[in-house]
Amino acid sequence: MRLPFLSLFVSSPFEGLQEHAEKVKECAWAFQQAMECHMAEKCRRFEAHRQDVIKLEREADAIKRRIRGHLPKGTIMPIDKFQFFMYLKEQDGVLDAVEDVLDWISYRQEPGIPPELTKEFALLVDATIDPIEELSKMVAEARKYFSSFSNRKREQVKDIIRTLRLKEHEADELEHQLKQKIFHIATDPVTVFHMIRLAEILGSITDHGENAGDMMRAMISK
Amino acid sequence: MPTEYLILVAGFIIGFYMAWNIGANDVANSMASSVGAKAITVRQAILIASVLNLLGAAFIGSHVTDTIRKGIVCNEILNDPQLAFIGALSALLSASLWVSFSTWKSMPISTTHAIVGAMIGFGLIAGGVEAIQWLKLASVVLSWIISPAFSIVISFTMFNFIKRRIISKTNSYEQALRLSPVFVGLTMFVVVLSFLFKTPLGKRLSVGTPAAALIALVTAAGIGLAARWLLRRIHRNRPADDGEGIFRYIQVGTACYVALAQGANDVANAVAPLAVIYFFVRTGTVGDQVQVPLFLLLFGGVGIALGVTMAGRRVMETLGTRITHLSNSRGFCVEFAAATTVLAASKLGLPVSTTHAAVGGVLGVGVARGMEALNLRLVYEIVLYWLLTLPAAAGTCMIIFKIIQLSLS
Repeated sequence: MRLPFLSLFVSSPFEGLQEHAEKVKECAWAFQQAMECHMAEKCRRFEAHRQDVIKLEREADAIKRRIRGHLPKGTIMPIDKFQFFMYLKEQDGVLDAVEDVLDWISYRQEPGIPPELTKEFALLVDATIDPIEELSKMVAEARKYFSSFSNRKREQVKDIIRTLRLKEHEADELEHQLKQKIFHIATDPVTVFHMIRLAEILGSITDHGENAGDMMRAMISK
Repeated sequence: MPTEYLILVAGFIIGFYMAWNIGANDVANSMASSVGAKAITVRQAILIASVLNLLGAAFIGSHVTDTIRKGIVCNEILNDPQLAFIGALSALLSASLWVSFSTWKSMPISTTHAIVGAMIGFGLIAGGVEAIQWLKLASVVLSWIISPAFSIVISFTMFNFIKRRIISKTNSYEQALRLSPVFVGLTMFVVVLSFLFKTPLGKRLSVGTPAAALIALVTAAGIGLAARWLLRRIHRNRPADDGEGIFRYIQVGTACYVALAQGANDVANAVAPLAVIYFFVRTGTVGDQVQVPLFLLLFGGVGIALGVTMAGRRVMETLGTRITHLSNSRGFCVEFAAATTVLAASKLGLPVSTTHAAVGGVLGVGVARGMEALNLRLVYEIVLYWLLTLPAAAGTCMIIFKIIQLSLS
């Protein structure tokens, strides 16, 4: 067959982006399980949940590579290719941060989280779950915007971006409070180091979420 | 003259093969957007494409045929019956060889370019450099650059209009319905105009330009309004969610429009050289006043239609699975731009490539940010094969010409 018309259409990078966002969302669930387990008294399933996240992260990585590999030079898209890749990088950054958190815990899983800090940690973890889940919704809405260019859809995307920003701010506050408390409670330097670093990586999840939102904002600008 | 009748039969067979090839491969251009956007099924696409390609070929197609037949190679050569006879046969043969080869290798070449290239080769070997009407050739080549550009501009403008006025609105369904007479009417306007100008049928009616414009305008307005009434009725009980639902129906119309334009334009690639052979055997000369008879155009049209029917299914199914993100409004823009370009060019007697017009239509929507991803590399490839097709077809034609000439003498 000789169908030049056909070779114009390359597979849409948005499809891959959506798939990637879904993987991120799936990861949120496994992550939540792992964290709840870790904060509970006796945790046996932590490693299993961590392996789940690692597996999902690997799959998401494969999707990311596929998107990058299948976007040849000279592809026309409704958005700037550079912005698109920056967005993908941030979306992937969320996953990496999630994996980092679990890895960091696994290095020193035994003592667990001091009971005095459990509440603050739980709050911080909750604050990070939402933005992870928002991403897939944002991608879906953005895709609808690029197909209809309707202002209503654009506003919806902007709403999600705003949520991401608020969540980041919220997580920042929680991280701040948590760190203060850690220094007040713990005296063992190893515990302090482990807890402080953990709080920081947890906070970085929402940072990546917010960055993804910022890149999306650039992508939907008129 | 038994040899000549033998050659006439050979000409008919090769001409038919060429037409069949056009139907089998190039039908993708006319139906891709509709099938890709799921506006029509594969079966419907095959039916529409075969019937309207046939109609377009038979009733609108004569003009381009003349250009290929006697526009590129100068009349002196063509007036030597023996030369013209062999030349037409070798042009037809080399073009179909080149088309077969590129179909086998999946190279994006245009049948139009192949046949024009072959005619150049014939002119060069039969009469040397001065036998080619370079000025005419230049205008043909120029049209190959202008026609995709024209198509890009039309689809870009059209998509931006649809974007601004319809799909971005909250009540996109109502907006699409309200403006539907514009889209249907515009399409009808061009179709009616091309029917009235310079087709055998239109000539018999012999209407002047202002009268033709008026007739086209009135018909277009009437059909446009009727279409809206019909669309309202269809959707009376269950309004579509958005404007795309309206474009789905309009797209059935534009699919017909492209098939018609394609038949009109592409039939010449198979029939033009065949006409030369036919005239020679019938009259002993190659008259330049005589019209290409209807039955030859019809013959080409049947060839195209058969190609569509026999090979169309596989082509369309490939299209349906590979083109996934094409909405109806975008498909409409692509088809409208491509068909208008091709029909306008074919009315000017310029043999342009339907493929390139269709590609231009897609690019126009892409530039207007309407496509999720388009691969521009095809554009370089097209230019490359375009530059390759002319000398390749010309070269093959020269060789075949020599072989036939030697074996006949």
